[in-house]
Amino acid sequence: MAVESINPQLCNGCGICVLSCPADVLRMDKTKNNAIVLYPEDCVVCCWCVAECPTDAISLTPNLTARIFTTWG
Amino acid sequence: METIWEQRQIKCDVLVVGGGIAGCFAAIKAREKGASVLLIDKGYVGKSGQSPYAGSFMVFNPAWGHDLQAWMDLVNRTSEYVNNRAWTELTITGSYERYLDLLQWGVRFAGNSKDEPTRFPGPSGVTEQLRFEEDKHGDYVQVLRRQVRKSGAQILDRIMLTELLRANNCVVGGIGLSVDDPVLYVFAASATVLCVGACGYKPVAYPPIVQLTGDGEAMAYRAGAEVLGKEFVDTHISRRDIPVGIPNMLGRKHPVPAALVGLDGPKRGRKLNNAEGNSLSPRPDGSSKYSFTYLETEFEVHAGRAPIYTDAPDGEREMVGGACLGMSLRKADGLWPADLHGRSTLSGLFAAGDALGTMQNGSAYALTGSAIANGAVTGALAGAAAAEEALSIGQVHIPEEEISRATHYVRGPIERRGGFSPQWVTQLLQNTLMPYFISYIKRADRLELALSMVLYYQEQLAPKILARDLHQLRLAHETRNMLLSAEMRLRSGLFRTESRGNHFREDFPSRHDPEWLAWTKIGQKDGKMELSRIRIPGAWHPDLSIPYFERYPYRFPGETNADC
Repeated sequence: MAVESINPQLCNGCGICVLSCPADVLRMDKTKNNAIVLYPEDCVVCCWCVAECPTDAISLTPNLTARIFTTWG
Repeated sequence: METIWEQRQIKCDVLVVGGGIAGCFAAIKAREKGASVLLIDKGYVGKSGQSPYAGSFMVFNPAWGHDLQAWMDLVNRTSEYVNNRAWTELTITGSYERYLDLLQWGVRFAGNSKDEPTRFPGPSGVTEQLRFEEDKHGDYVQVLRRQVRKSGAQILDRIMLTELLRANNCVVGGIGLSVDDPVLYVFAASATVLCVGACGYKPVAYPPIVQLTGDGEAMAYRAGAEVLGKEFVDTHISRRDIPVGIPNMLGRKHPVPAALVGLDGPKRGRKLNNAEGNSLSPRPDGSSKYSFTYLETEFEVHAGRAPIYTDAPDGEREMVGGACLGMSLRKADGLWPADLHGRSTLSGLFAAGDALGTMQNGSAYALTGSAIANGAVTGALAGAAAAEEALSIGQVHIPEEEISRATHYVRGPIERRGGFSPQWVTQLLQNTLMPYFISYIKRADRLELALSMVLYYQEQLAPKILARDLHQLRLAHETRNMLLSAEMRLRSGLFRTESRGNHFREDFPSRHDPEWLAWTKIGQKDGKMELSRIRIPGAWHPDLSIPYFERYPYRFPGETNADC
């Protein structure tokens, strides 16, 4: 489970999700004035972005996500 | 591609780092003293850290029939006599004035009127607390943000203070990193107040602590300040099927968005059963009855009686540990307080809230709502004291070589061509610390093993952490800070050769009052971490004539009468 995507049709560009994210996962796409999921691998699943979004534009993936452990990385 | 950096220098009397309740109070109270104030936060002031997750605010008011001695007795007993009674009392007695501040600024509390808020009994039955009345998660911190602005303090969001700057053994500000633009901020400040969070190790399980990476204690330690309280751990558990309890943290009155329905985590106070169907052992009378305050679940797991279940209304739910990995007991660890005004042992450096090691709750948490009240009380004290000191010493000068040293340190990871990602090193650290038999059920051989791994990460991996962009540069510094915090935690756990409250040593399973009515202080000697035992004033000791098993009603596995 983690933040998956932000629907550009629903996003109003208010940026509140970007400010709410404690892990700096979301950023504004300045050219389109939309929020985007730029660093999905760093999502800490707090879901505050979902709770804050005024247009319900943010969706979660139902899959549990965990970083694959590797010998180095 | 080489990053082109811009450097901006900003001068202020008081630099406040961290925008939770402690930082907001510090900024406002420093402004009231007439100092120029800059408040910075690596996230967004009003949304970052643990403050938005707080629901309760402990308020002590004799006019409401509160008895100071009864409150103190509760904490002294539950803390197992290693609370700092001066700070415990300051938080209790200072809470009412800070409550009045909050009311005046527009924070709403549950209840019928301002004069008569609803008072909720604490789980001990002795103390009381108020609850924030909010339409949405963290509303009250947004009120604080507005008040900081109204006070005339300047706010800079999304700037991570990364390294403190020193001149003549004094802290004279710090260097900050923007996550949005390649800008290094050099803050020249006559006094710096650290109000940042404690250290978690980013467990994907407990949202309030995922951005708390020990940045304050790490940079303060590097600059020469002292730290304490790292051996006392917090224990929270979470559902196995989902990592977090989301709606009951974000809930308040805000309707739960459809995407989050059913994702609530374990509720406090819920009954826990082991795999054999037996309830976990009861708490002693007068102690906190919250689940997850003590180590009962870890003891059951260690005895082979996992899984642990809650009796949730929609069916039994399996619980796992690790949700609070790295989280210290509320208000235990932090900078060693040099006085009762938030001064650290390093000139020019103050701390408040979770960055200050007040030990107000000792080795176990009794005063519900006191964590956030402590943030308000210590923030106000430290902000006022920092302002007075700053105004008395005037402007500071930062030597060029100090800026150059700190700049080199901050930019290091992004200037590397190869190395390791901060995410991978963090994952290594999590895997080293997270098992119950390392961080919770401790024993010397296992602690030493984990410590040797952490020291390897520090010596061989940390200097090679690579950042590809500013987002990863922030992560790189957080990882370096967490490695330092992990060393402090493991060394403190090794150093305290007894068990007490939320510190359990399998090889020393009893309290040992003759030696350990004491705090563990961490400092540096010849560039190496050095721990020392600071004895608690005799007047604060328990009555040693009371037999051991009565003095300490909470039982550890394998415990004997350690006074013998």
